[in-house]
Amino acid sequence: MNASFGGRGLGTGANLGDVALPGTVPNGEPVISADGVRHTYDGKHFALDGVSFSVARGEVFGLLGRNGAGKSTLIKAMTTLIQPTSGTLRVLGHDPRHEGRRIRERIGVVQQSESFEFTTVEGNLDLYGFLWRVPKPERTRRREELIDRFGLSDCRRRRSFDLSGGQKRRVQVAREFMHDMEILFLDEPTVGLDVLMRRVLLDSIRAEVRRGLTVVFTTHNLEEADYLCDRIAVIDQGRILALDTVANLKRLYSGKRTIDLTVAAADAERFLPALTAAFGPSSQITTDGRSVVLLVDDPKAALATIVELVQRTGAQLEWFTVRQNTLEDVFLRSIRPEEENRGRP
Amino acid sequence: MAVPNLVRLIYRNTRVNTDPASLVILLGLPAMYLVFFGFGFQSLTGGGAGPNSYLSFLAPGIMAFQAVMAGTVGGSMLWADRRWGMLAQLLVGPFTRFEYLFGIMLTSLLFGLVGAAVMLAIAIALLGATPVGLLGVLAIFGAIALGSIFFGSMMLLISALVKSNNAYNSIQVLLIFFVNFASTVFYPFSAALPLALRVLFSINPLTYIADTARNGYRATLAPINGYEMLVLAVETAVVLFLAIRAYLRSDVSLE
Repeated sequence: MNASFGGRGLGTGANLGDVALPGTVPNGEPVISADGVRHTYDGKHFALDGVSFSVARGEVFGLLGRNGAGKSTLIKAMTTLIQPTSGTLRVLGHDPRHEGRRIRERIGVVQQSESFEFTTVEGNLDLYGFLWRVPKPERTRRREELIDRFGLSDCRRRRSFDLSGGQKRRVQVAREFMHDMEILFLDEPTVGLDVLMRRVLLDSIRAEVRRGLTVVFTTHNLEEADYLCDRIAVIDQGRILALDTVANLKRLYSGKRTIDLTVAAADAERFLPALTAAFGPSSQITTDGRSVVLLVDDPKAALATIVELVQRTGAQLEWFTVRQNTLEDVFLRSIRPEEENRGRP
Repeated sequence: MAVPNLVRLIYRNTRVNTDPASLVILLGLPAMYLVFFGFGFQSLTGGGAGPNSYLSFLAPGIMAFQAVMAGTVGGSMLWADRRWGMLAQLLVGPFTRFEYLFGIMLTSLLFGLVGAAVMLAIAIALLGATPVGLLGVLAIFGAIALGSIFFGSMMLLISALVKSNNAYNSIQVLLIFFVNFASTVFYPFSAALPLALRVLFSINPLTYIADTARNGYRATLAPINGYEMLVLAVETAVVLFLAIRAYLRSDVSLE
């Protein structure tokens, strides 16, 4: 169970939603703009609850959030699979409600759920190119290039049912590069891919972005987001909690360091309150069971305090590290105050 | 010249549904019915493979049966595309929901007509000459075309409503059984049948298709066949409307 000690948790001390600039386009014309977009599936709960942002041409825009945060719903709205209940949404200058086909003809989508035809790998690629009106010679060229790029040579004549989960995913991703597009939507595309293929995919996307492709990318993997995205929106409960460049989000904590420590189970009850008291009520401390994350300005002074506390209480530390802030810290700190506000653990 | 979207979808549907296993079900099963039932029951009635034989009675019925098989192809396509994610994927591509739906309907129609032609060829091979003329051929294929749309719509309706693979398969198997065996595909309508069966025979669209195909095949078309086709057309319109409504309201994916 998560708990936060002190009057101000890590996130409440730095409300990312306040400093971020939703809707700001860094450069270039906006190819996607959302203003107060809401969507409900059941008429009671909003999967999207007033989402506003813009994506510039050539940008890699990341949507970061937990399961059920609203990422896939937002992708579905932008790709015309569902219609927003209210708000304004424009994709490539068109309204998805009334001009869906005009949008769909200019986008590519790799959906979160698997999808494949009951044909061979090369049949899947060729058929998809055919559906997208890619001429035969170009289809053949692209198919061969993608089979090579995504390591599908060994299974090119195998039917979809005979492929492993990772191979199916590679086909699903590779397939989308069979046709031209202006925006590529990727809904957790690397799930099921091994490390090597994950890097192949991310590098493929980077190469396409250099040629002018705009990418909207959802992921749970913060390293991927850090590697790929120009800007990131942290989304939870259908709302954008933070939106900025990766560098700016990290810069919020640039002068600080993160200390992770874990105390022996038997010592947690006396050590953790003492730790909170030592760092003061305004300290940025988050606990999870017997593990603690501290955000500190002066790691040396914090270390001295912790050592003194350990000696005084006789507690045994099982894990202790001091590290730079990561995107994961940003993510957790933007999510947790929302939970606290809602009274969730 | 660019190939229209509808044609692309029909090509796609045909390509992914013409694997050997699907073809065995689509053509092999009716052909086996024709051969096994035809020769098997003929031994009960006696006589050879002449124009008044059981085989010549069954052959047009099996052609009509292709309309049901075509319908199952359509329903299975929608079901599989929902189950395996291709419906959602196609609908974020350059296709509309209506293009997808009519792509399936026309593919069903194509499968029904090709299947009926194959059965006709097998029947002629087994029976020799047939009195069927141009009008008869038009009646056979017209009835099967209309029937393919009827059963295609019915199976689309079911596949748009059900949520599980088991439910879909169970409904399909039961429906095929009732539709087939409570019709004039395998045996003629008779006043000696129990009342419940006679009612089922009378309201079963496959009876109308089989009767029209049979009379077309034997060059004995009568005004009643025109009336049957009119009723079938009305039923088809109603089921098609319901199928379209259910499809437009259904989730594109079962995830």
